[in-house]
Amino acid sequence: MATDPTISLKIRSALGEYLKRDPAAIRVTHHLREDLGLDSMAVIELLYRIEEAFDLQIPDQDLVGLTTVGHVVTYVEKRLGKAATPAKTKKTIKPTKTKGKKKS
Amino acid sequence: MRARVVVTGMGIVSPIGIGVSEFWKAALAGQSGISTITSFDPFPMDGYRSKIAGQVRDFAIERFLDSAHGERVDRYAQFALVSTKEALADSGLQMAKENPHRIGVIVGAGMGGMVMGEREITQLYQQQKPHRVHPNFIPVITLNSASGIIAMAYGAKGPNLTISTACSSSAHALGQALHCIREGRADVVIVVGADASITPLVFAGFCSLRALSSKFNDQPEKASRPFDRSRDGFIMGEGAGTLILESAAHAKKRKARVYAEIAGYAATSEAYHMVIPREDGLEVAHTMKLALADAEVTPAQVDYINAHATSTTIGDAVEAKAIRHLFKSRADKISVSATKSLIGHTLGAAGAIGGIASVLALHTKQIHPTANYDDPDPACALAGLSRSAQERRINVALLNAFGFGSNNAAVVFKQATAEDRRSKG
Repeated sequence: MATDPTISLKIRSALGEYLKRDPAAIRVTHHLREDLGLDSMAVIELLYRIEEAFDLQIPDQDLVGLTTVGHVVTYVEKRLGKAATPAKTKKTIKPTKTKGKKKS
Repeated sequence: MRARVVVTGMGIVSPIGIGVSEFWKAALAGQSGISTITSFDPFPMDGYRSKIAGQVRDFAIERFLDSAHGERVDRYAQFALVSTKEALADSGLQMAKENPHRIGVIVGAGMGGMVMGEREITQLYQQQKPHRVHPNFIPVITLNSASGIIAMAYGAKGPNLTISTACSSSAHALGQALHCIREGRADVVIVVGADASITPLVFAGFCSLRALSSKFNDQPEKASRPFDRSRDGFIMGEGAGTLILESAAHAKKRKARVYAEIAGYAATSEAYHMVIPREDGLEVAHTMKLALADAEVTPAQVDYINAHATSTTIGDAVEAKAIRHLFKSRADKISVSATKSLIGHTLGAAGAIGGIASVLALHTKQIHPTANYDDPDPACALAGLSRSAQERRINVALLNAFGFGSNNAAVVFKQATAEDRRSKG
């Protein structure tokens, strides 16, 4: 699924550092809560680190879909415009501006 | 008859030692824990009037705890976890054998999680990125983070409270725990005092209040000099102290070693001024009198006072005046010591640490010296002050603690009874 190995690696490194675990042992199929044992607060802390690592802002409504490591990797790729399918790169977000929440 | 309450365990993190035995050895030797501040690096110290503090050096939470509880809390709560771990081990209390709803936690903290607090506030104002405020900011700076994490670490499900009355916080924690056990709401209360806010902003605030010593920046170990003529303000300190309080009946049942009885407590307000005590000392005297009455002892029975004595010009003189007012001629027969002469003023931890020094004085029959009491100020002369350690069997000890906000507390400890001592199996 991951097309940019550096993104996946960065995310797994962040997770490994947070969980004090070897990043190599963390798989994209791992469920953040069920497999890695993160509680809801820990997921928020992890995403905080990922926001910093990639200079992103993740809006609240996007949190729902981020349940596995793979989801997070795909999400970040998409946000950075590096997804496998070029058609999905229309949302090339500039990290400094996030006003996308105005209309629901 | 109301339940008697005893002290069965103690733990400490202080500028002169982590662990009760290390602390007491250093205290009896009159060792100073005051040194030049290095922790603001790279923030320059040039603009600070005072440049010294009682710092806990080389503290790394991993050295003391193997659980993850210490990682998400601020320095003061880490201190609290470490002193509590020691105190619980010392008490021999086995949580697995206890009813968790009968074990409470009461923490006194004056400033709370200022290390993270200051960092996050600074970053927010400098970078103007609200989304970069750490998700743990609120849980960490909320003032009951220490009492919460201690309950979680040990499964203590009884009353869980935090008392914040500045420098008297943990003296009130001791007193409220005494009430809690007396009233039968808990068998055991883990009482903690903790503060760690030697940070650029808090330190600057105390400097601006002109509350800190500035004459002895070049001789840090000489700066904290309660009751001495050349004292010129307090020295900020940091640390934590934990005392395990339990009903005498509960201690007896589990054959615990009893250090002392905690027998009385009083809480008052001077309703006078945010930072200045009433100069006649009458409110302080009244507070001590109420605590002694609560303990059912007379002023004539008091042998030792662990004074609040922060080394400020007014504060020390008021306390000495109050002691003289209440105790009359007995005042010169009472041994007095100022723990802050050794470690500085640990703010919210001061009551608990003073409590530990009082209990150790009862238990070991030794009273630690008051450092730098070189030139007794006639305005606060008390014959029982000494630059060297004193040996004395003490039956009744009084602990004073006063806080900003016109707040006073006094706690009375008594020698353990022969029956208490026999309970140790």
